Amino acid sequence: MSKAWLEDLKRAVYIAEKDVKIYFLKGPNLIFGLLLPISLFLSFSIGRSVDLAFAIPGLVAIAAFFGAGAIQAIALPLERRTGTFNLLLTAPISMFAIVLGKALAGFFFGAMLSVAYTAIMIPFSPLPNLPVFFVGIMFSSFTFSAFGMLLSAPFRDIPQAMPPATVVRIAMIFISGVFIPLVAMPTFLQVVAYALPLTYSVDSLRQAMSGSINTQMFLIDLGAQVFFSLVFLAITVWVLKKTIE
Amino acid sequence: MEIAITVQDLTKHYPNVLAVDHINFEVQKGEFFGFLGPNGAGKTTTINILTGVTKTTSGAASILGYNLAKEPVKAKEHIGVVPDTSNLYDEMTAWANIIFCAKLHGVPKEKREKRANELLELVGLYDRRNDRLGTFSRGMKKRMMIAAALVHEPEILFLDEPTTGLDVQGAREVRGLIRELNRRGTTVFLTTHYLEEADLCCQRIAIIAKGKIITQDTPEKLKLSTQVEQVIEVSFDHTKDVSDKLKRLSHVRDVVTAGDKFRLSVDDSSETLPLIFDFAKENNLKIVSINTLKPTLEDAFVKLTGLRLEVMSIEKEQMKPNRG
Repeated sequence: MSKAWLEDLKRAVYIAEKDVKIYFLKGPNLIFGLLLPISLFLSFSIGRSVDLAFAIPGLVAIAAFFGAGAIQAIALPLERRTGTFNLLLTAPISMFAIVLGKALAGFFFGAMLSVAYTAIMIPFSPLPNLPVFFVGIMFSSFTFSAFGMLLSAPFRDIPQAMPPATVVRIAMIFISGVFIPLVAMPTFLQVVAYALPLTYSVDSLRQAMSGSINTQMFLIDLGAQVFFSLVFLAITVWVLKKTIE
Repeated sequence: MEIAITVQDLTKHYPNVLAVDHINFEVQKGEFFGFLGPNGAGKTTTINILTGVTKTTSGAASILGYNLAKEPVKAKEHIGVVPDTSNLYDEMTAWANIIFCAKLHGVPKEKREKRANELLELVGLYDRRNDRLGTFSRGMKKRMMIAAALVHEPEILFLDEPTTGLDVQGAREVRGLIRELNRRGTTVFLTTHYLEEADLCCQRIAIIAKGKIITQDTPEKLKLSTQVEQVIEVSFDHTKDVSDKLKRLSHVRDVVTAGDKFRLSVDDSSETLPLIFDFAKENNLKIVSINTLKPTLEDAFVKLTGLRLEVMSIEKEQMKPNRG
């Protein structure tokens, strides 16, 4: 890795560090990251016989899904509206590093929330492959942070950015096997589900939750998430570059 | 002399608006260059292009030889930017903002704190270093932005309307600071719609209106270029009207009284001045004051752009509703 790349990467980490300091305790993040996943989980679980080994990975996945995306749903449009994003644009740093830095902040928040939910759920259900489960959380959080960046990249204001992002996220939850197993869904929805990153996240966490991991399937889940992350980051870079033209 | 900024045929189209129209200029290293024009003329668009915030539609710009389109990161290593509105984080302290900017610009860890201390002292905000930027006044934020822009000791400093919205004292302090930086060798690119600011600070000025550069030269040459006649202003020790007599002096084309003074429009002031002294002696008049009046930058601006002077006093806030 060249010195310029390393320098770019270092500056991406500084951006992440700054976003963590500023945005972690903002109200909307806590609502989207903490309250929404548990509300959705409870509304689908209460009054039903729930298999925790099936439900817990779903809960942890949507915690990562909403948590990781919440930071940049606020930070990116807000910074573009107030002009603080221009501080990054005028600095000697590539657009990819700016996007990566911001995605890292979302990743930390999503991972933190998912780990917290996992810690709460451990007394209710055994987690035989905890390290593997954490690997799944890390990959999921980064993918969803990159997805959150993509959803907020076209917007310059929070009220503009939030509604479409929320609609897309809620829709994805219902067709990614979080609450309803994929096999119970119509074939065309299963096809759609396999085009969504949340499906792979939920699957990887369910594998880790089970006693026996299908290594090949688990690696496919992780690989798909890496692929989605790279595509989301690349499109975000492209969108942001287009918006400054 | 080395060239700091080169702009060639730069054009920026927004939907339905041609913001910058094929402009060309060069700024020498160490120069204090002013970009003067009314609000909406294309000054901010130009500075945004030169600092990487906006892309060009066509044309090219380079910073110290680095093409902004091809080597933007290299180009940005050499610039500091003070935009017209705050680009710093209200949620962070003054200290945290400066340190973050130092990190973004690759200032080594061992130098960051020393540099932050120096800059906060320089802009007079050291005592407020632990306060959040959101609690600062507009003038203090402006000074903070200057400090943040200088953290990596840039060779070129871009300032977009740095004194707009500041009180007289605040504006004077900011101007003094910028002039001192230029004296120490920093190339300064300043956009302003304040004529007196451009006249006071800049070694060279480009006047921009409706996206086009009308002219560029030193302030003095710009003033002289629009001078069609020379004016001598004289006052005597009593108020007797001698305008008819003054009119009869050779080289004098017209005389206008202005209070206790007589303004003589002349063909050549150097020829006329001795004649006025002789005239005073012959008529037993004592000269209280005598001045050759040069056109101001305001006069030059009005003549060169064909715009009314009032357009320069329209602030951005007043223009926003029209811009959508």
